[in-house]
Amino acid sequence: MTAIFRLESKKRVRGSVILVAVFAVLSAMYFSIFPEYEEDAEALIDAFPEYMLDFFGLEALHTIEGFIAAEIYSFFWVLLVGIYFAYISAGMIVKDIDRRRMDLTLSNPVSRESVILQKVASLWVPLVILNTGVPVIVYGGSVLIGNTINPEAIVLVHLLSVPYLLVCAGIGILCSVLIDRVRTAQATAFGLVIVLWLIDSASALDEEYEWVGDLTPSRYYDETAILVREEYAYADAGLLTLAFVFLLGVSVLLFIRRDIH
Amino acid sequence: MAAISLENLTKRYGDVSANDGITLAVEEGEIFGYLGPNGAGKTTTIRQLLGLIKPTEGTATVLGADIRNRKALTEVKADLGYLPDELGFDERLTGNQALDYFARMRGDQRREELLELFHPPLAKKIETYSAGNRRMLGIVQAFMHDPELVIMDEPTAGLDPLKQDRLHQFLAEEVASGTTIFFSSHILSEVQRVCDRVGIIREGQLVALEDIEKLLDRSGKHVWLHLRDDVVENEFVTEEMINVEITDNAIQFTYTGDYNSLLSHLTSYAIDDIEISNPQLDDIFKHYYSEEFTEET
Repeated sequence: MTAIFRLESKKRVRGSVILVAVFAVLSAMYFSIFPEYEEDAEALIDAFPEYMLDFFGLEALHTIEGFIAAEIYSFFWVLLVGIYFAYISAGMIVKDIDRRRMDLTLSNPVSRESVILQKVASLWVPLVILNTGVPVIVYGGSVLIGNTINPEAIVLVHLLSVPYLLVCAGIGILCSVLIDRVRTAQATAFGLVIVLWLIDSASALDEEYEWVGDLTPSRYYDETAILVREEYAYADAGLLTLAFVFLLGVSVLLFIRRDIH
Repeated sequence: MAAISLENLTKRYGDVSANDGITLAVEEGEIFGYLGPNGAGKTTTIRQLLGLIKPTEGTATVLGADIRNRKALTEVKADLGYLPDELGFDERLTGNQALDYFARMRGDQRREELLELFHPPLAKKIETYSAGNRRMLGIVQAFMHDPELVIMDEPTAGLDPLKQDRLHQFLAEEVASGTTIFFSSHILSEVQRVCDRVGIIREGQLVALEDIEKLLDRSGKHVWLHLRDDVVENEFVTEEMINVEITDNAIQFTYTGDYNSLLSHLTSYAIDDIEISNPQLDDIFKHYYSEEFTEET
């Protein structure tokens, strides 16, 4: 029983390729300005207010690793790709119900558990395409400008982001089974990912409130630590994976129980 | 064993009963008409049979599987076809791709044969389809795995009269070869033409469950007369005549009594023209929806 998985997987290809293209353009831009930027980096960084660096978790901005972690990963990967995963997952169930596709799907000998799990499993497509395309582009870019980044760190900055992206997808799928309107479900998932990211970033500014950020997924994925210091937090990735499994489990249970109107 | 069996099936939304204690059985190999106006609760029944919504009370079985048993219900769906009133296809797929998709889940051994009768433009994307093409694609997907039971919700909606006839004929052949059809419709003439038995649902309640023939018998005969002289109402009309309409020397009514007494009654009049026929299901339907009926309940 893989019909749903196959169809859903096909639907994910276009968006994933477009996103890789976006990252290609961004990378081209950042890598091309880096050599010039490097010369005045010290002065530029001194001009940044301290809280800005803390907010984005930036360090070693004068190195290619710090610069790419800041420009490509801190914002675009964590936020943009996180939102993408939450958004498409938020459409998976509620949109099918709204468009009456779920009625036909469930007239087949396929259980609701299988429907939702096959749909979520189709996320392998963006995970593979993005995590293959973007690291190749980033590594190639660093080689081109003669400032090679350790490929192991690039691989891990992507590998360890997978559980984070899955948690974003988990937030989306939960919205999709809980909320009856497509727009509301997608906007809620979208908003939650942004708000959680803001909480993580803002709480990092004040030691007294830093613990609040422990409840946000992006706290458990530190792109700067991976690229600059080559510190790989496998335990944090494990925690994120558990969180994803929990969100998915709750979503499956809710979907099995609800009426489909 | 009944193909479908409803036992006190009830679905309530707050104070409103969309289905209120419906009990009926659809036998194997029959074509059962489920008749009622829009909003009567027909689709609510179907959605419960498919396990999309859960009954508040009571239950039903579909091909032997209790609808409250999710696993059993999922299994029997391999032998079930469903034609929903609103066809939710994936718009960006072509007709062929959509059929491939369903075929992977439940087979398509009769696909080619069906496509000779109903032929939507399979190479085109579904988003370009007319209502009729959409419906034809729906019919093909509902029957292509040669199911034992097909549940159809307003199956002719969007079809032109020619295709409607073709569907009716096709259904007759299917039933002859043993398929069971649950035919939900608000179109009375269609149910009269196609179905063996009919259940009439009104405001969530089953108000009649009969053979079409018996229903017609019980509802008497429609009589239309032209007398030579003007009709004198209090002299001509008897208690057995209902829905009486008189215009000068013409009179029409539904006769609910013994036919012999009608004929002997008529011999005392000079008759220019006469027609005695079965009432349309519409007239019977009116009976179930008349105010008189509302008072009875």
